[in-house]
Amino acid sequence: MKKVRLLLVAGLVGMLALTIGVPAWGADTIKIGVIGPMQFVQGKGHWNGAIMAEEEINAKGGVKVGKKMMKIELVKADSNEFLNVTDATNAMELLMTRDKVDFVVGGFRTEAVLAMQDIAMEYQKIFIGCGAAHPELCTRVAQDYDTYKYFFRGTPFNSAFLVRTSFLHLKFVGDILKKELGLEKVKVAVVAEKAMWADPMVAATEGFLPKIGMESVGVWRPSPVATDVTAELSAIQRAGAQMIFTIFSSSVGIPFARQGGELKIPAVQVGINVEGQKDGFWEATQGMGEYILTMNTYCRGVEYNELTAPFVETYYKRFGETPTYTADTYSAIKAIVATIEETGSLDADELVKAMEVSERKVASGIVKYMKDEQGRHLHDLTWGPGYLTSLAIQWIDGKPVGVWPNKWVAAPGAPEITYKGIQDYKIPPWVIQAYKK
Amino acid sequence: MNLLRYHLRKLFLILKNEVFVLPSRIVVLLFFLTVLLLPLLYDDPYMMRILILASIFAIFAASWDLLSGFTGQINFGHALFFGVGAYGTAILNLRAGFPPWASIPAGALVAVLAGLLVGLPCLRLRGTYLALTTLAFPIILMGFVFSVPELTGGELGLSGLSRLARSRIANYYIVVITMLVLVTVMWKITDSHMGIIFHAIREDELAVKAAGINTTKYKLIAFSLSGFFAGLAGGLYAHFMRIAGPSTLEISMSFQVVIWSVFGGMVTIWGPVGAVFILFPLLEFFRIWPELRQLMFAIVVMIVLLYMPGGLLPWLRSKIENECPRCKIRNIATRKVCRVCAADLH
Repeated sequence: MKKVRLLLVAGLVGMLALTIGVPAWGADTIKIGVIGPMQFVQGKGHWNGAIMAEEEINAKGGVKVGKKMMKIELVKADSNEFLNVTDATNAMELLMTRDKVDFVVGGFRTEAVLAMQDIAMEYQKIFIGCGAAHPELCTRVAQDYDTYKYFFRGTPFNSAFLVRTSFLHLKFVGDILKKELGLEKVKVAVVAEKAMWADPMVAATEGFLPKIGMESVGVWRPSPVATDVTAELSAIQRAGAQMIFTIFSSSVGIPFARQGGELKIPAVQVGINVEGQKDGFWEATQGMGEYILTMNTYCRGVEYNELTAPFVETYYKRFGETPTYTADTYSAIKAIVATIEETGSLDADELVKAMEVSERKVASGIVKYMKDEQGRHLHDLTWGPGYLTSLAIQWIDGKPVGVWPNKWVAAPGAPEITYKGIQDYKIPPWVIQAYKK
Repeated sequence: MNLLRYHLRKLFLILKNEVFVLPSRIVVLLFFLTVLLLPLLYDDPYMMRILILASIFAIFAASWDLLSGFTGQINFGHALFFGVGAYGTAILNLRAGFPPWASIPAGALVAVLAGLLVGLPCLRLRGTYLALTTLAFPIILMGFVFSVPELTGGELGLSGLSRLARSRIANYYIVVITMLVLVTVMWKITDSHMGIIFHAIREDELAVKAAGINTTKYKLIAFSLSGFFAGLAGGLYAHFMRIAGPSTLEISMSFQVVIWSVFGGMVTIWGPVGAVFILFPLLEFFRIWPELRQLMFAIVVMIVLLYMPGGLLPWLRSKIENECPRCKIRNIATRKVCRVCAADLH
């Protein structure tokens, strides 16, 4: 018994020594920390994207730093940030002090990313945020450049642009309804899950609708976890809505799409439905989610440029699903590597300067970092034609299909934009039947 | 010189007659020495970060024990005080320019107000009803935080607070010494006349009332004191993390403090402190099995509570110390007669 105890104690001491005492690996590797909520789909996206980048780069011999070739080594850090912000900061500190990473990519929950950002900046390590959309992360760069210059946004573009894009989708579908069905003024029901983040979007939508010749017939706020929304759908039908602008990030997106399809509500669904971005949406709605439209970053068959299809298809083959936007850690790592090779240096300050002026093609468009109105570096992503726009996808016949941008003219006189693989938006037949004159 | 000699002699006598006579007190002394000397031997920033956060949560856990353990006012929404302290401190630091040494105590006073506000409606409630009512308060405050984002920063919280100190080691000593002082103060409170009344309220409130003691006043004092210490912990947390966000008010924060206190042993003050210093680094240690981390943690807590239902510290004390059946003074387990009244201990 004593021997068993002794062995147990020795084992525990050994493990403790291993976890706290392992030095950084060899100097011929570039260590990149991948931090995210690894037990959740967002963190899995972070890690999958990073693995793909690592494998591709190392298969080509590594990264050329001056005259030397260096391999990439990834360090996985579970931030557990959905449940515990303190945990996230500890994970970041671990990456900085024990793993001694050279760069970090990832992060998702804004509150946690703000706290993690402070730690990475303290150690003057480049941190590319791949998940949080709040502008504050980049406003800090402009306000205190010397401290926060090592932070860059990798994905998605900031939330103000996300709202603007979803309004473009609203107008895009509204114009089609007007043209195809001869509607003069499209009536819109705004349906947003009862969550704080959706509040400003609801207010903004109500202000925006009259500007594009549409009319709000009311606002509905179901619970984010509602399983039955037939009451809301019936009320929307009675209100005479022809379009439903959805603002969903939670599971309510599934029953809303399913029951809308079952009841054949004569109104098209457009907006943000995070459940609709997932590959399992068709099964979850038992095929009743057909025709719903949602914003998304990637869609099989749609190409922003020549880098998109190889990334999306390889990812699909490797992980059995379409990449979500957090998988853009792939592009973030590729961007770091390209900058290192251009400058021939691993010096963070030198790399920051190079990244600020670079214009780099990635799988989701072109990354160019913005400045604010005062000309200060923001390290935020440029949105718009020729840069990053994201997509609108529509579920047709069991598959998501890219439908926007389709002959999109961003400003008067600007060229039309249609990505390769974009198809025409389809109005549900029961909506045509209800309104066709 | 004579004064110094006098104080040294007094210290020696206290150590000899009060500390070295009981193993549990020697453990506490060793804990003091370890946390104070550790960075001099091993100044790893990650380790110091973990110990700084453990110290902050130790104050928080001890403050829960003061209210719920000693006074019996079971509070399932203790994050309210922590969150109010954090937000109060952050607002005063960012909006009014208070330095940390002023914003933290001032934030704690805001938490005292919160303690009074919670205490007043809860005076008539007991047991499960009290616990469930207190659970609602941080949720209500969370709603308030989201409804006035211009004041509270909404879902982002308030970030960019001043650092406690520039270097990690200075941060460490500020927080650790504050923790040692505050926990000692809490322990002395529970050992005082007021502490006895807190005990009595928990055991039989009616009997205390019958003895002519205003239990309402003492219950409000317990809520306020607990709010003050938890508020200080919240303030320290906000300045160390440089952010006060909605996560400080989350239900998980309220439940964590209950787990720490029950694990360490309620009605002990030092039990919850010890539990935080074991469980918080343990959760970090379990990062070596990332997928099983939370599960391993839960298993450890369950096993300990299965074999030590009263918590770690009471179990430890029961193994190394005996209580005198006559004078109730504790003695080392190896003694045959009581060190005070010489009664037979076996």
